[in-house]
Amino acid sequence: MRLFNLATLTHLHLLLNHLPTVGFSLGLGLFFVALAAKSDDLKRTSLIIFFLIGLLTIPTYMSGKAAQQAITGQDGVSEVLIEAHQDAALWAMVFMEITGFTAWLGLWQFRRISRMARWNSPIVLILSILTLAVMTRTANIGGEIRHAEIRETTATEGTVNGGAGWLRTASIASFVNTTSWAWPATETLHFMGLCLLLGVVLAVNLRVLGVMKNVSFAALHKLLPWAILGFGINVITGLLFFVSVPEQYTQNRALQWKILLILLAAANILYFTMFEEAWAVQSGDDAPFKAKIIAASTILLWVGVIYLGRMMPFIGGSF
Amino acid sequence: MMDFLAWLEQSGFATWARESNSLFAYPSILFLHTVGMGLVAGISALIDLRILGCADEIPLTGMQRLLPYMWAGFWLNTATGIVLFILDATTKAINPVFYTKMGFIAMAVVLCVIQGRGFRDPLVDKRPVDVNGKIIAFASIMCWMAAITAGRLLAYLGPGVISNIRH
Repeated sequence: MRLFNLATLTHLHLLLNHLPTVGFSLGLGLFFVALAAKSDDLKRTSLIIFFLIGLLTIPTYMSGKAAQQAITGQDGVSEVLIEAHQDAALWAMVFMEITGFTAWLGLWQFRRISRMARWNSPIVLILSILTLAVMTRTANIGGEIRHAEIRETTATEGTVNGGAGWLRTASIASFVNTTSWAWPATETLHFMGLCLLLGVVLAVNLRVLGVMKNVSFAALHKLLPWAILGFGINVITGLLFFVSVPEQYTQNRALQWKILLILLAAANILYFTMFEEAWAVQSGDDAPFKAKIIAASTILLWVGVIYLGRMMPFIGGSF
Repeated sequence: MMDFLAWLEQSGFATWARESNSLFAYPSILFLHTVGMGLVAGISALIDLRILGCADEIPLTGMQRLLPYMWAGFWLNTATGIVLFILDATTKAINPVFYTKMGFIAMAVVLCVIQGRGFRDPLVDKRPVDVNGKIIAFASIMCWMAAITAGRLLAYLGPGVISNIRH
C-alpha cells in the first residue's frame, strides 16, 4: 500500500515544512530560555527537539521533490525559484543534520557524565542559529514559488543562486549520474553503514533482551556513537541516491514505509540514549519489561528498514 | 564442470528463483543475504572495534556471547549465497570478482576463528590486548569491507554480467 501519492506528498511537504522552520524556532527559543535559566532539563528538552526535527527534515526535503513534480508547469509557478529553493533546502538540511547530530551527542554525553558537557551548548547554539538562518532563506524562496506578490528574488535573469558552488542539487546529480564508479561506491558505503548500525543495534538491544547479561548497559551505551555514525553514513549515501534520480523514488511505496520505520527506529535510539531505566541496568541485572519491549521493537524496525530498502527495486520499481 | 553449472542454472528451482515475480523468490533471498551480512560483518566489526580499544568498558567475555549471532549470519549467507550463485552459476564461475569476494571472506573467517579461540581464555579481560590481537582485529575489519565491496561490484564487473537482473 502506498502511503502517499504525488498530490498527498505535496500536502505532506506543506505540512512538514513547518517543523524545520516554526518548530525549530520554538526549539531555539526554548534553548535561549534554558541558557538564561541555566536549566539542564530545559536544555535537554531543546536538544531532543533539535534531534527530532533533524530526523523529520529528511522527509520534509524528500517530499519537496514530489511537490516540485506536482506543480512544475502550472501557471504562476517559477521553475527558477523551485531550483533555487531546492538548492537552499539542501544547504539547510546539511546544517540541520549537523545540528541534530551535535544535539544528540550532547544528550548522549549528559547521560554518561550527568551534566551538560561544557563544549556542547555554545556549539549547538551557533549551529542552530546558522541552521535557522539558512532554513528561513529556504522557506522564503519556497513561499515565493507560488506567491508572486511576495517575490523579492528576481527570477528573470535565469538563475537565482540558492546554494553556493558545489553543493547544488544539479551538480551532485550530474556527478553521480555521469561518474561510472559513483553509484556502486555509494551503494557499497550504504551497505557498510548498514553493518555498523545493525551491529550496534544488535549488541545494545540483545543485551537488554538478556544476551550477555554480564555486561552493564552503561558499557554498551558507549557504542551508540558508532550506530549514529553508521546511520549518518546511510543518511548521506541514501540522500545521494535520492538527489541523483529523484523521479524513481518520490512515489516508491517501499521507500515511503522505509522512511516511516526509520523515524520510529531512530526515535527508539533516543530512549536508549537518555532513559534512566535502561541506563541503570547493571552487570547481571535483568532489564525492565518496558525496555525489553522497546529493544525487541527496535531490532524488528531496523530489520524492517533493511527489508523495505531491499524491496525498493521489486515493489517500488527503482534500482 | 561448466556442464554441471549450466545444469544447476537451468534447474527448476534456479529458474523459479530467478524468474518468478514472487517476492519470496529472488527478492527474499537478497533480503536474507543482506540481513546475514549485517549480522556477520556488523558483529565482527563491533568485536574488532572493541579489541582496538573502543568502548573498552565492555568485557570481551561479554562480547563473546554475540558470536553465535555472528555465525548465524555467516551460515545464513553461506546458504543464501549458494542459492545466489546457482541462479547465475556459469557467469559467476568465470568472474574474478567472485573469487576475490570468496578470498576475503575466507580470510575474514580465519581471523574470526583465531579471535574466537582467544575468547575461550577466561582471563582474556585480565590483560591488555597484544599487538597481534590488534593487527588481527584491524585486518578483520578490512577483509569484511573488501568482501562487501567485491560483493557489490559483482553486480557491475566481470564477463557477462546479467544486467537484466535487478540488484
